[in-house]
Amino acid sequence: MWRTNLKIVGLVVAVLGLYTLVANSIPQLQSELPQAVELSGDVTPEQLVAAGERIYNGAGGCTACHGLGTRAPNLLTDEGGTGTIGARCGSRVAGMSCKDYLYQSLTEPAVHVVEGYQPIMQDMRRTLPADQIWAVIAFLESQGGTIDVTADDVRSAQQPSGGGGAAPPAGATASLDPREIMTANGCLGCHKLGDQGAAVGPPFDGMGGRLTSDFIRTSILNPGAAIARGYEAMAGVMPPTFGQQLTAGQLEAVVSFLSSQR
Amino acid sequence: MTDLFPFLQAAADTAGAYHAFPVIGSRAATWIAAEVHLMFAAFVLGVPMFAVITEAVGIFTKDERYRERYDRLSKEFTRLLLVAYSATAIWGAVLVFFLTTLYPRFWNHMTEIFQLSMWIYVGLFFVESFTLYLYYYGWDRWNKGRAKYWHWTLGILLNVWGTAVMLIANGWLTYMMSPPAGVTAQTLPSEVGLWNAIANATWMPINIHRLIANAVFGGSIVAAYAAYRFLAARTDEERAHYDWMGYVGNFVAISTFIVLPFAGYWLGREFYEYNQQLGITMMGGFMSWLWILQAFLIGVLFLAGNYYLWIGMGRIPGAERYRPYTKWLLIILILGVIVWSTPHTMIASRQELEAMGGSHHPFLGVLGVMSAKNTAVNLMILTTFLSFLFYRRANKRPVAPWAKQGMLAQWIMFAIAAMVVLFFGVYGYFVSAIVRIGFSVYQVLAVLTTIVVVTTLDIFLLRGAESRGEIRWGQMPERSQYALFILAVTFTWLMGLMGFARSGIRQHWHVFEVMRDTSPDAVTPALGYASIMISVCVLIFLGLVSFIFWLSELGTKPAEAHAPAAPAPGAGPATAPAPGD
Repeated sequence: MWRTNLKIVGLVVAVLGLYTLVANSIPQLQSELPQAVELSGDVTPEQLVAAGERIYNGAGGCTACHGLGTRAPNLLTDEGGTGTIGARCGSRVAGMSCKDYLYQSLTEPAVHVVEGYQPIMQDMRRTLPADQIWAVIAFLESQGGTIDVTADDVRSAQQPSGGGGAAPPAGATASLDPREIMTANGCLGCHKLGDQGAAVGPPFDGMGGRLTSDFIRTSILNPGAAIARGYEAMAGVMPPTFGQQLTAGQLEAVVSFLSSQR
Repeated sequence: MTDLFPFLQAAADTAGAYHAFPVIGSRAATWIAAEVHLMFAAFVLGVPMFAVITEAVGIFTKDERYRERYDRLSKEFTRLLLVAYSATAIWGAVLVFFLTTLYPRFWNHMTEIFQLSMWIYVGLFFVESFTLYLYYYGWDRWNKGRAKYWHWTLGILLNVWGTAVMLIANGWLTYMMSPPAGVTAQTLPSEVGLWNAIANATWMPINIHRLIANAVFGGSIVAAYAAYRFLAARTDEERAHYDWMGYVGNFVAISTFIVLPFAGYWLGREFYEYNQQLGITMMGGFMSWLWILQAFLIGVLFLAGNYYLWIGMGRIPGAERYRPYTKWLLIILILGVIVWSTPHTMIASRQELEAMGGSHHPFLGVLGVMSAKNTAVNLMILTTFLSFLFYRRANKRPVAPWAKQGMLAQWIMFAIAAMVVLFFGVYGYFVSAIVRIGFSVYQVLAVLTTIVVVTTLDIFLLRGAESRGEIRWGQMPERSQYALFILAVTFTWLMGLMGFARSGIRQHWHVFEVMRDTSPDAVTPALGYASIMISVCVLIFLGLVSFIFWLSELGTKPAEAHAPAAPAPGAGPATAPAPGD
């Protein structure tokens, strides 16, 4: 019987060993902690690019979608024959510089959704400080383009007012203008209001006639609570974070504005 | 301000938030305690499910021979539970002590919200344990007439208490992954409603997923136990009984396993609905390779499960006529595993991207997409079902007047299902992603419908069928039993891996986006480290379970020595029906 016991133990250890070996043979990736990247006011472009690359591959979480070819456009490799991001960013929007385009793409991603992709990207100001956003832009420009992010951009981003740098997300502003709040939070990236917006989610036009205020409020705070008919395929696209982004006053301003759309 | 909050929160953490565990560290210690506790918990929840089902079969069957056999099997399942319950409680206590001493700040947060449910949990566990004692120790006393029904009711109650305990614990862990939308880092725990916290977005999908997974897990461990007893058996009767028991355990494990992916899809969808970032981290972020490893493991399960069936056909008269098909089934399974474990949208470094000339390898681009993978896995499920069908009808000759047409209808169903799966698999390459996702529903429906319709037809088709000879239970090559061990080890390892996936997607959060993990172990480790931890947990669990099985055997030896001999193969388990008959 001992022979059988040994055979069983040997088999179990061999199977466990095989699985452990396979798991250790494939690429080893671990999640990164968000870390403060120190950028001084006299940072060089090379230092900015290096810092941006670290953020891009780590705390920024960019690689979760970019570079896979399905969820978001490739940035470090060619995208549909238009080249890498540094090479194509200057020609994406007529009259818009590469730097401005990238900045707006990171802070108001719903404005420049590339055809064929869903507007799933979040405002990066929610996860990265303003100077780090400039570092990421410098890194992206270095992918086939010219780096024109300067220490001035970083310095102004580090000013308490943030003048010239990344502005804080809308949730942190005191604005109670519903249109301003909705624009700042990218709502029109998915919902139509007049001639603005896209048809990813139910239109804001006439919403007050279709839904109660309570329903609208619940849907903003918990978008998965009820999915509008005809939009089932888009379930999960709207982030459930607006309860944290908006102040109570802003939320009510938006709810009352949408309820008045008849 | 929002940007700075995590950093401020981290800075505000005092030294009292965490304590260190010697040598292996707090995370590893808690990981082991939680995982081993969970494995035992799954076992003691899974086994009562089919203990009560087999007892019911024994009660309600009209054939006296089967009555005693199923009753004995059910009692044997229950005997395994006695010591396993103690082990579950001990590991649960170890986990609680680790959490209270190593993660006091986190534990305070959880107890402030869940304290009432924790008291109910303890009360239910107490009731559950004593129901088990009554169920087992009252077995022989309440074995006849009306008393037997009361005894069976005790088994049902045992399952009810166990499920309630699981639902409560699931509320705690799912709150950590998907706290209610209104709860933020600024919310005081005392302001969070208990029911609101328990009934969070992923609670019900986890409940269903775990309920099914427990049956799978329990079945595979019971099958491994039977395999051991088969190998250790000294008489033909014993060998026949444990051969049959191994088959039943494996049947339960594989048949419930087939529906598990659908519960998994639902859970994954809820993750995406709750938070895109959670979903993306799970499927395409740093965990993307985990699913390739999962595909490899499930491939092993399919191959080992089918291998066991094919070998088992050697003890069934009439099964020879199906042997020529085996190689084709094997080819489909191997091709399926290859396609399913093909990586595609993996995170790669810049150097790797340049070397591949794109975001994915040109050879793998076609096979690594969901269309190909869904097609592969659905064909593998169909193939396994076909293997089971061959096994089931091997020694039977249908006598129904419509037998020919019935079998033709079955084959047509198989052909249609395979064509539907292939059609949508190929068509998926020519449509957008959002349309392609919908195709998987049609593929799954085709396969499930075929399984249900063909099985129903088969039951009527084989009613009163002529026998080509009795199944020679016990006449099974030893190597078949090692396949059952591989299945048990793989199921257990897979459970550890999925536990890591579920828990790991929270990344550096104790409670996702509510309470940050600021301990030295806040980084979620890579798969290599996780695999070592999983293997250690599996070794501890299997070592303890083996000891428990030995103990249960030790306690029954004197009784068995005086017990009447088990029925001979011809009149005994040899004639036992295969599940599904």
